[in-house]
Amino acid sequence: MTSRGVMKFFFGIYAVMFFGYLFGPLIIMSISAFNSSSYPRVTPWECLTGEWFVKLANDARLVEGLQNSFLIGICVVLVAVPLGLAGAIMLTQIGNRVRSFYYTVVICPILVPGVVLGISTLIFWRRLGNMVGAEDGSLLFNDIFLTVLGQATFISAYCMLVFIARLQRFDPVQEEAALDLGATNVQAFTKVLLPFLKPAMGSAAVLAFLASFENYNTTVFTSQATSTLTMVLASKVRYGIDPSISALAVIIIGLTLAGAIIYEVLRRREARIAAQRLADGLPGGKPAPKPGFGALPQMAGIMILLVVVAGVATTVVASGYNAEACKAEIMQEKLRIQEKFAEEQRKLREERMKQQQNEAPAAPAQPKAASPFGNVFDPNNLGSQSGTAKPEPEAPAKPASPFGNVFDPNNLKQQSGEQ
Amino acid sequence: MLLVNYFRWFFTKNGLVLGSILMGAVAFWCIVMIILPQMFMLDYSFRLNLAPHEYGTAKDVLTLENYEYLLYGSSANTDSFNFQDLGVFWRTIVAALFVTAFDLAICYPIAFYMAKVAQGGLSRLLVLSLIVPYWVNEILRAFAFRIIFGASGIINETGMDLGLWDQPIDFIRADVALYAGLSYAYILLMIFPIYNAIESLDTNQLEAARDLGSPWWRIHWRVIIPYAKPGITSGCTMVFMLTAGALAAPQILGGPSSLWFTQRVYELFNKAIHWPRGSAYAFVLLVACIVIVLLLMRLFKVRLGEIAR
Repeated sequence: MTSRGVMKFFFGIYAVMFFGYLFGPLIIMSISAFNSSSYPRVTPWECLTGEWFVKLANDARLVEGLQNSFLIGICVVLVAVPLGLAGAIMLTQIGNRVRSFYYTVVICPILVPGVVLGISTLIFWRRLGNMVGAEDGSLLFNDIFLTVLGQATFISAYCMLVFIARLQRFDPVQEEAALDLGATNVQAFTKVLLPFLKPAMGSAAVLAFLASFENYNTTVFTSQATSTLTMVLASKVRYGIDPSISALAVIIIGLTLAGAIIYEVLRRREARIAAQRLADGLPGGKPAPKPGFGALPQMAGIMILLVVVAGVATTVVASGYNAEACKAEIMQEKLRIQEKFAEEQRKLREERMKQQQNEAPAAPAQPKAASPFGNVFDPNNLGSQSGTAKPEPEAPAKPASPFGNVFDPNNLKQQSGEQ
Repeated sequence: MLLVNYFRWFFTKNGLVLGSILMGAVAFWCIVMIILPQMFMLDYSFRLNLAPHEYGTAKDVLTLENYEYLLYGSSANTDSFNFQDLGVFWRTIVAALFVTAFDLAICYPIAFYMAKVAQGGLSRLLVLSLIVPYWVNEILRAFAFRIIFGASGIINETGMDLGLWDQPIDFIRADVALYAGLSYAYILLMIFPIYNAIESLDTNQLEAARDLGSPWWRIHWRVIIPYAKPGITSGCTMVFMLTAGALAAPQILGGPSSLWFTQRVYELFNKAIHWPRGSAYAFVLLVACIVIVLLLMRLFKVRLGEIAR
């Protein structure tokens, strides 16, 4: 029994670490969106602020990328859902010998690296365009057209998997009955099979849109001139970080959480209704007798979430009034630290000058100079050094440009060595 | 003859209208979207870097030059091999294998717990809590790791505050951030196949093994892992392929001195503008991934049919 306890203990530690790894980055990123520091960080907390959300909303490139992503996402849904549906139906009607080959062909876009899909789509349509002598602005060279096709190549396979899962529970006898009763093929398809597949269509559409929306690897090749949201984000992150990206992450995480909760609530309600029908022994049995009461816990959950969101929002808005004051305070604090440091530096130098006049310089000067190195990596203090260095009577022995390398942290050491 | 029979059967079953739509859609997807682009890319990788008006002229010949470049480098190269690109390639494959192994190690216990230990509600909650991070954009996830591992990120600040080290450690240059970010990105794709496999295992088998006196590690080794092997292989395949083909995370988290092979391909397309060579590199990546996956399957004695759910 004790070994069991030990195992439970270790598993507990492991589970905490695992979920820390899973959620830690997202939590830290979300918190950094509310810190006024211009580098996204949590630890030196400066001021609670909502300014990064405002900056995000005013970013024209991001908004344009968002529009492109929406357009592409909707087109991908329109292409991938029908293709996936056709692919899944085809799988049920194909001979055994061809089936595994066919399945390999349509499943492989999921496994092929997205980069390869993007490149192959780009090259194929470019070459085709050149062969038929298409003009430069024509459809075959259109970024959005290529991106939709490139993404739909593998997203259709996702949709197909969703449809296959649903089709496995379809009883073909239903369709045969419809045909026997005089329905045409098209009628049997639209009146029997399609209604049965409707829930799968919903999930496939959502899946397709989300997959398209967050795709980067394929899009970056097929869309040579048009930027989607992920491409704008990637270039922003690569060439300079600021917390407005964290703000976007907060919004996306919030939407995901809300989506997950709504999905879970709907699923539970469906399960409860189904259970009720089963209990009543009716195929179309009446809904649960006291839905208001039964749904209470979920409603409470949603309410709590809304309250939390509203609370955070109000805090941010309310803090908008004193954020400026807070920032001014922080600025003053920084200035004070700088001044204090400058003062220390000046004293140190004066002391060293006196020392130099009295005794041999190098050996004793070294350990004293060591103390300012303690926080030499703080970017502020180098700036203040140069400020204090200017009025100094003893200019460093660098004739060409005395302050040219004043930002070099080795500077002080050099000076003290030379003197 | 067989084909004609099949078509006759297919069109009587579906009717002319529906049958043509189905056939057309599937043909478009398979041929125009999947097979032809791959073949064009393969063909293009054997060509010289020409301007569009030179296509089809005498200059437009098939050549192995692009593949030779990957092996031997440019003619000005004095080394016997193109160590730079081959090194990037090798590093990418090895790092992707490492990330896959790491993900397998951290995901197996959670998958087992979710499948066999956790009760209904808790298990459901765990599944949801795994999905939420996965739907956050790939780039934002990489960005989060950049915040954490940056020179003034939370790890460096905490470490220095605690006095563990006194200068910021450059996690980005050391590629720690990259490996952490890549492992993070595909956790879900490792967990779910394993979870599905273990969940379908009859719990009675575990109890029987326990009743017969088997210690817990032997139950895993002799009962669960052999049973879940298709799921494990499927998870490893997906994680390996996605890691080796990742582009965003290496671009954001990669150190300045180390490249990922996909970044090299990206450079060839967008900076060097040498598409045929880029195609050749992409094709080599594709083939290498497929070969490694097939080797893994041979190693674990799993067939392709078992993997495809």
